Amino acid sequence: MGLDALLNAFLEVLNGGSLLYLFSGVALGLIFGVIPGLGGTTALALLIPVTYTLAPLDAMYLAGGVMGATSFGGSISAILLNTPGTAPNAATCFDGYPLARQGKAGLAIGASAAASAMGGLIGLFTLLAFIPIAREVVLSFGPSEFFLLTILGLAAIAVSVKGKLLRGLIAGCVGLLFAYVGSDLITGEIRFSAGVDYLWDGIPLVPTLTGMFAISQMIELSLKGGSVAKSSADEAATMKITGVWEGVKAVFIHWPVLLRGSVIGTVIGAVPGLGGTVAAFLSYSSTAQTAKDRDTFGTGNIKGVIAPEAANNAKDGGSLIPTVAFGIPGSAETALFLAILVLHGMDPGPGILLYNQREIYGLIVALTVSAVGASLIGLMLSRYLIHITRIDVNIVVPVVIALSLTGVYVLEGRMADVFLTVVMGILGYLMIRFDYPRLTLVIALVLGETAERSFHQVRIISDGKMLDFMLTRPVSIVLILAILVTFLLPSMRKVRWRRKAESG
Amino acid sequence: MKTILKTSLAAAALMAGPALAEYPADKTITFVIPYNPGGGFDTIVRSFALPLGEAMGTTVVPENIPGASGSRGGQAVHRADPDGYTIGIYNIPGLTVSEATERDIGFALGEVTWIANLATEEYGIAVKADSPIKTMADLCNLGQPAKMSDTGLDSTSSITSAISFSIMDCPLIHVTGYGGSNDAMIAVMRGEVDATLKPIASLAKYTDAEGGSGDLRMIVTYTAEEALPGVPTVADLGYPELAKFTINRVVGGPPGIPADVLAKLEEGFRTAIESDAVAEWAGSAGVKLNFLGAAETKAMMDDLSSFYVQYKDLLAQ
Repeated sequence: MGLDALLNAFLEVLNGGSLLYLFSGVALGLIFGVIPGLGGTTALALLIPVTYTLAPLDAMYLAGGVMGATSFGGSISAILLNTPGTAPNAATCFDGYPLARQGKAGLAIGASAAASAMGGLIGLFTLLAFIPIAREVVLSFGPSEFFLLTILGLAAIAVSVKGKLLRGLIAGCVGLLFAYVGSDLITGEIRFSAGVDYLWDGIPLVPTLTGMFAISQMIELSLKGGSVAKSSADEAATMKITGVWEGVKAVFIHWPVLLRGSVIGTVIGAVPGLGGTVAAFLSYSSTAQTAKDRDTFGTGNIKGVIAPEAANNAKDGGSLIPTVAFGIPGSAETALFLAILVLHGMDPGPGILLYNQREIYGLIVALTVSAVGASLIGLMLSRYLIHITRIDVNIVVPVVIALSLTGVYVLEGRMADVFLTVVMGILGYLMIRFDYPRLTLVIALVLGETAERSFHQVRIISDGKMLDFMLTRPVSIVLILAILVTFLLPSMRKVRWRRKAESG
Repeated sequence: MKTILKTSLAAAALMAGPALAEYPADKTITFVIPYNPGGGFDTIVRSFALPLGEAMGTTVVPENIPGASGSRGGQAVHRADPDGYTIGIYNIPGLTVSEATERDIGFALGEVTWIANLATEEYGIAVKADSPIKTMADLCNLGQPAKMSDTGLDSTSSITSAISFSIMDCPLIHVTGYGGSNDAMIAVMRGEVDATLKPIASLAKYTDAEGGSGDLRMIVTYTAEEALPGVPTVADLGYPELAKFTINRVVGGPPGIPADVLAKLEEGFRTAIESDAVAEWAGSAGVKLNFLGAAETKAMMDDLSSFYVQYKDLLAQ
């Protein structure tokens, strides 16, 4: 039944005008992805009124095109400007930007394009494979699993910041403190809002992220001057796009990294509230942690681009798992997708796969075509895009700042978001200046809320016997083991290294 | 998106004089939704937007202004000019309860120009389909307080369960923090909580009612008369007053909308609610349409305020 529907959906897309909507979606997604502060959610929210007049399936193609293309678009700015275009691309900066500075932007973009396309495909195939058991998957992830996943994410902070453990932890703790601002989800009380009602719902993520990465990076660049790529005119030869196909090849050479990233992306994507940022970060840190050449991560290791990009595209497939099972969104984008269905007179619920099969498969096909299409377009454009790294920063900086502040304003229409972005930009610059990792702060901010909420839920549900409760759940046990391994791995390695040193 | 609102507000301010004479002139009406796209408030506004626009002879543009349990959206409407070009749907009785407990929502509900009540939804309580809990009495005598899943303590449904359970002398613990009513219902399916109180239409999607998934079973409805065959009502249990707990989809505007403009808006909603588009949506979503005009809505809102003030002490806990 599923395959038939999928095939039909594919044939319908190839039919006439549908492709037009799909590719408009892809183009929009790429643009919204590239611009820091704007992302897939913004694009979809802006598109919702437009879909009023469209046929439901065309609306799906448009939405799918956008969803599939934004995260690749975002990786381009991450690589070229050290400024993630969308939140999930933050981890791509670690190795993508060093590559760009070494004049290997082509290599990084090639790898990102291929990893995005392949990650997206793997995520969708996983989704298709999971559709028959989607209900069981969703039901086996409860508050206990959410809590352990956040702990796993926080544990990854500790091991991801090589040699800067204390600084990483400090930044992470500041992130957690930020996460506690706003109404307490359990008691409903307002905490640390300093009487400002803007803070009732907590410190919003997008302005924080845009400030932390885009604005701070622009401050850094403008103070340094010159251009992003260190290479001067005489090295222009290496700036040619020779690297692009190498990058694509690298993805297939490092297929275990691709696979791992895609699996992590799919799983995290299926958990509402965690999303692509955490998926990409976990994928990056687990790759960096287990790789033989882990010392080169952060200095331009191509695997550091593949891992997060595979994950943040695979998460789209994963976030549809709760949607097909119960009609509930797994991410902000799928929430908007459901809103589009509602607009067209459908009532998505647990029967979504029965009653809205055409729309769901339409979206899956659109996501598939978009993941591949966006990467192909990106590859074609990459020869022009990498010139950005050679433009004088005095031109780049004002353009990026104006675009990102506008993007932040457009999202909610609140001037306060713009101020917060600027404040976070200054904080972010100070963190660059004094060598504190910014991503750990952001990851802790993302995880803090889910961690706190699910902790309290487990506490109440289990009548205070939290560990006993967790140990009765198989998925929780697996996650507890994963957390232990994450914590113990570095010290186990140290012991082994010492032994080697002693014997050798 | 909000830029549109800002500009239309600015434009409205400039044109207030002439525009009033010919309301609704060929100018868009902004319909504020105090929550994100996709939820119950969003759905109802978006399904009314087109027919309302047709009835009024202009375009109605829904605007999401989420935040602070629906009070940010309410504040935005409150600050707008009372020229009929900015209206909103309100989180009722959520905001009523906030006011009753003397929590600052940034404006006074008593000042709002109420336009219409569009729908009234009733509550029910559901347990997992294979749960040993068969009746309300079972739920109240578990040997420990019943665990009920909900979004937050300030949500209408958890306020309803808190007050009604205390009236029925039934101990309960709220497990809050679930993302939405769907998440709260899935918590019941996972078996981590005993039951949940939600609108009957939402619960029906997961019960063995027609088109439902059969994961949940309803044990009581908060209605005066039988809503579902075989499911007892609160009246059957001896608490008919509990049927007063409902969710209302109420539309209002800034304080001081002139009477002629108000009458046109009221008429617009009256026409829209009878349109096929709204009827079709209400049928598929299982929402009970219940139109009340401006005067009746105002009376209902005042009534609700005094109803919740009674439980002020209980709510403040």
